[in-house]
Amino acid sequence: MSFTDRIAQGLESGWKVTDGATLTESQTAEADVVIIGTGAGGGTTAEILAKSGLSVILVEEGRLYYQKDFKMDELTSYANLYQEGMSRATKDGSIAILQGRCVGGSTTVNWTSSFRTPDATLNYWGKRFGLDALSPEAMAPWFSGREARHSISPWEMDPNLNNDILRQGCEKLGYNWQIIPRNVKGCWNLGYCGVGCPTNAKQGALMTTIPGALDHNARLFHGLRAERLVMKQDRIDSLQASAMASDGITPTGIQITLEARHFVVAASAIGSPGLLLRSGLPDPYGRVGKRSFIHPVNASVAQMPKLVDPFYGAPQSVYSDEFNFSNGVDGDVGYKLEVPPLHPAMSAGVVPGHGDTQAENLARLPWMQSVIALLRDGFHEDSPGGTVSLRDDGSPVLDYPVTDYLWKGLRNAFYTMAEIQFAAGAERVRLMHLDSDWYSSWADAKAAIDGFSMEPHRVRLFTAHQMGGCSMGSNPEDSVVNGFGQHHHVSNLSVNDASIFPTSIGANPQLSVYALAARNSTRLAQQLKA
Amino acid sequence: MTDDLISIEGQDSVSLNRRSFLRTGLGGALFLGTVSVTAGLSGCATAPASRLGAVATRMDARYQFRFLTTEDVDLFEALLPAILGSALPEQPNARRMMIAGTVERIDAGIYKFGPANQKELRQLFDLLNFGPTRVTIARVWPSWRNASTAQADAFLERWRSSSIGLFNNGYMALTKISNVAFYGYQENWHLSGYPGPPEWAVQALPQFRNA
Repeated sequence: MSFTDRIAQGLESGWKVTDGATLTESQTAEADVVIIGTGAGGGTTAEILAKSGLSVILVEEGRLYYQKDFKMDELTSYANLYQEGMSRATKDGSIAILQGRCVGGSTTVNWTSSFRTPDATLNYWGKRFGLDALSPEAMAPWFSGREARHSISPWEMDPNLNNDILRQGCEKLGYNWQIIPRNVKGCWNLGYCGVGCPTNAKQGALMTTIPGALDHNARLFHGLRAERLVMKQDRIDSLQASAMASDGITPTGIQITLEARHFVVAASAIGSPGLLLRSGLPDPYGRVGKRSFIHPVNASVAQMPKLVDPFYGAPQSVYSDEFNFSNGVDGDVGYKLEVPPLHPAMSAGVVPGHGDTQAENLARLPWMQSVIALLRDGFHEDSPGGTVSLRDDGSPVLDYPVTDYLWKGLRNAFYTMAEIQFAAGAERVRLMHLDSDWYSSWADAKAAIDGFSMEPHRVRLFTAHQMGGCSMGSNPEDSVVNGFGQHHHVSNLSVNDASIFPTSIGANPQLSVYALAARNSTRLAQQLKA
Repeated sequence: MTDDLISIEGQDSVSLNRRSFLRTGLGGALFLGTVSVTAGLSGCATAPASRLGAVATRMDARYQFRFLTTEDVDLFEALLPAILGSALPEQPNARRMMIAGTVERIDAGIYKFGPANQKELRQLFDLLNFGPTRVTIARVWPSWRNASTAQADAFLERWRSSSIGLFNNGYMALTKISNVAFYGYQENWHLSGYPGPPEWAVQALPQFRNA
């Protein structure tokens, strides 16, 4: 085995990488394009623009962590690699938000599932938002291009038992299931994708597009928070940014001004609308921050008769779309079924409880299996999404009211998950709801779920996929950017991340972001070079 | 909102109608904010903790608290035995050490939460620490330093089963922070049957060499 860490090598070879914490005086820098954010969207954009010969500056609020830091430890990773030290939540605290905050963004900590945007979603966008140019046929080459760039292919090893139980349950009940495509190269099948890949096998932005951009003279500032885009007449003139101390959270007081011909915002579905709102950019129809989607997730855990060891092996390798589009694209809410990895801190945070009961529950972690349902929000008038706004300190916060339409879907998902787990041989099943006990039969679980009060906080909810808030569309009255991610009202501003999705995706969104960002930045490069 | 606050503070604690002011999240948030100010003014909770109960008895008490106050530490020292139950060792010294270490990791975790969520937790902790609200909202009569594990457990159970979302949220915040800090810690991995990262991988990976 050879260990050639791409980042360590690049830093040694003279990449232009600046840690904001080391800056001692305020300064100005300039490039053709300034890109805010280094995740799926920002990384892709940076590589494509830099390779086309444009000078690029990348700005990342989080810090640069790479192989030397990835020691398969939950507590340090959650504290350093995730937004708000893994404590981010919706405004009322009822939905936990798992989101990366580091170079590579969420692609550094995701579980590597890589799906094309479903055809039904793209067709719906065409019909509903005037985005006919994003048809499945038109997008196909962009997906295959990105699949090659990120080494995406269906997982070839056997699924771990945690995932195989989802397969077994679906088989028994006659539900469809498939193997998940993953963005990995030489994966060791360890199970630590969520805490930073320790082997550099994961082909997220950190191992692909970020090094690609830096090899082509891009400059990266990390530990630098984008505060405000400053307009001069009808164009953006500069980005004002604040350096952060090495703890990643305390501003040092050093201000950096970044000037460019063009600005690309790729700071996530929470960060991008936040930056646009802080900057007070033109928003005549009040669309910024609206239609924010999250694939609301609920979960079920099972106690299995055999050792599951749900902390080992590729975290996600099996999924079921049996219920995702079964009611049509815009009928009763659909949901995708997947499996989460269960390490001790993650499990302790997901399974609610305290006292001896909690100690006993967690002591059985090696026999625990879990299924999650990801709701496809945003395709129905009763699923208008949430709203990103600014707190007093200027930081963005997502308010996401769960509508009756979604509660109904969440209850249905509880039924489905419990049924699948019992079909796969679970001894006991517990739904992640404050009122749920352990149930030892599908009939008992079903009766209990019938009586669950479906309310915020009582139903344990999560999101790992944030989308929307800077919606794309052909009509400026109900969108922020056009179908190429170009801002409707500011000519030298593009948005290239998940925030431009006009609905959720109906699948883990990283490949959708890669593909759309590749398409839009290829066009942008042509325009800027012209 | 002002009327709500006056009526709360003027009411006898026993007759306090929680639903009347906690019906909306907004009312709750405003109320918590005021408690925070009141607690601060009355000198209840300000400076980070320096000398501590169980934490102070630790042999290696060099940890510098960055968020938790002395009162917060009392709160967690009272709550942790109820939250962690039989996962805590029984042997008194080991138990004290484990509680002290968990409180420190809770502090380190919250520090990384950043200012916005720290502010929310400050409001929650001040609400629980400030005598009048501890009695009315948490319904715990003695100070946390003098509260029994049974009293702490009864409080947690009330907030868990309450039909008021704000209390459920408080329950989840307290238990989640504690459970994650406890079970996520390497020395406690065995309590959830987790053997840690595969040894062969640790042996093979460069980042584990020359520690």
